[in-house]
Amino acid sequence: MALYRLNRIIQRYDHRTVLSIDGLELAQGSITGLVGANGSGKTTLLKLLGFVERPAQGEILFDERPVPPLDPAARRSIALLPQESHLLKRTVYANVAYGLRVRNDRKEERQRVAQSLAWVGLPPENFARRPWFALSGGEARRAALAARLVLRPRVLLLDEPTTSVDGASAQLMKAAALHAHRQWGTSLVVASHDLPWLHEICTDVVHLFAGRILGRGQQTLLFGPWRQLSPGKVAMALGETQRFIALRPEKEKTALTAAIDPARLTLLQPGEAPPEGREVMEGIVTRLALDRPTGGIHVVVAVGPTEFSVPLPAGHPALAALSPGRPARIAYGPGEVRWYDQNLLNQASSCESPGR
Amino acid sequence: MDYLFQGLLEACRLLLGGDPETYSAVAATVRVSSYAMAASLLIGLPLGFILGHLRFPGRRQARLVVDTLLSLPTVFIGLLVYAFLSRRGPLGDLGLLFTLPGIAIGQTLLALPVVVALTATAVESMDANLRVTLLSLGADRWQLMRDTLWEARHGILAAALNAYGRVMTEVGISMMVGGNIKWHTRTITTAIALETNKGMFAMGIALGLILLFIAFAVTATVSLLRRK
Repeated sequence: MALYRLNRIIQRYDHRTVLSIDGLELAQGSITGLVGANGSGKTTLLKLLGFVERPAQGEILFDERPVPPLDPAARRSIALLPQESHLLKRTVYANVAYGLRVRNDRKEERQRVAQSLAWVGLPPENFARRPWFALSGGEARRAALAARLVLRPRVLLLDEPTTSVDGASAQLMKAAALHAHRQWGTSLVVASHDLPWLHEICTDVVHLFAGRILGRGQQTLLFGPWRQLSPGKVAMALGETQRFIALRPEKEKTALTAAIDPARLTLLQPGEAPPEGREVMEGIVTRLALDRPTGGIHVVVAVGPTEFSVPLPAGHPALAALSPGRPARIAYGPGEVRWYDQNLLNQASSCESPGR
Repeated sequence: MDYLFQGLLEACRLLLGGDPETYSAVAATVRVSSYAMAASLLIGLPLGFILGHLRFPGRRQARLVVDTLLSLPTVFIGLLVYAFLSRRGPLGDLGLLFTLPGIAIGQTLLALPVVVALTATAVESMDANLRVTLLSLGADRWQLMRDTLWEARHGILAAALNAYGRVMTEVGISMMVGGNIKWHTRTITTAIALETNKGMFAMGIALGLILLFIAFAVTATVSLLRRK
């Protein structure tokens, strides 16, 4: 049974379509990452999943059942942390207790509020009595998260939780969200630009582009522009010196996006020649991230402004020579990209790349 | 200019000496304005919330009407209420003409546009994320309204004070609907009008000062509450 099932969802603001999703299912107990540029529809999707907004068209099933407008029943097992987390004009304590009070659930309120404040690193003895305006940006964001954690929700929707907070706050928030997942089996949906973190924790990553689902998994997206290289090949510039070469798509279209699966990329050892028929890009290692489910390592390599993630199994000999700042060469096959027509992106949601 | 000073002395004498006629007028003013404020807040806060929070067709037009009603003349309200409550009027059987509840009905009509318009403005100027925040924490419709109004409490307090000022100081409705009956429907403002007509300036000024004093007491209490 799917936790969420979205059918032909369209959302419009002022007659402008901001989100159009043919179909999406989210499983109970999963951690789903939402990735995409600003304005790609992540926030809108989260608001729809939190039932604080209604879609203009389409249907969202929660536990396989539709949710009536403004009906609190389903909403009360879902907690959304909006991007601009707003604190009510009350004390920190009253802010965190608010959700319990609207649920008329005041049993052990004091302990539960104190506990959630502690999870996000706000010692209750210092913070509970503070008014809403006496918090720093990071503290306010953490207090807002505590107000969601206290509800022990079945679903926790986080909209860029770690954006515009300091590193320590970000760490605390990440740990608290994972705590909820492990402790209560809370399903998480996280919109974030923090790709290493998402890759580390997520069981599924959904790519959004211009309000549409562009695919799932850890693929790298190459938006072009693509120019003709030879009769059979096109290329996209990556920075000033590098380029990505791909076989020409069958259909001639203007706005095309290519996606490449990380499993199709290989790191070359220093001095190693690329295998026959494969192209090479040179870049710089920016991060190494642990892939918890497999124990492997994701090597993130920046080629110009674009980042590629290359998986390596744990203990691979090449890892010894890899650290951020070191040069790295990636080999790929020009025929291994998947093409998406940006004008027909709805098709993309049905052809998923192999999930993890 | 002597009578101004005389008025001040007279005011002290009336208040401290416990003049029964003055206290009757003060009691009538406080009672009738309290009724009117309670009724206009009860009706006006939900209407103001709807006007400021919801997006519905015709909202702008409704807003225009309410804003126009802000400048309703008190004598005109007095006339309307008189017409409705008089023996021949549709509500004549209720026997409310020349009673305090009758005046309160008129003053409620006076205060209502102020409460609705200023509440709508206060709710409108709330952070756009407030709605998402309240809903995301599980609020239902009723809690959404209650807590949005609570978040806008400073603006709403200003609205209530503004309305209270109008209600306390109006003379047209009290005079026409109440009839300025001594011991009965005579309020401070109608008493001032009468004393001035009689040429009793000192008494009029004294009553005016008492009115100001009541206004000060209310405002001071509210500002004390606001600090908390």
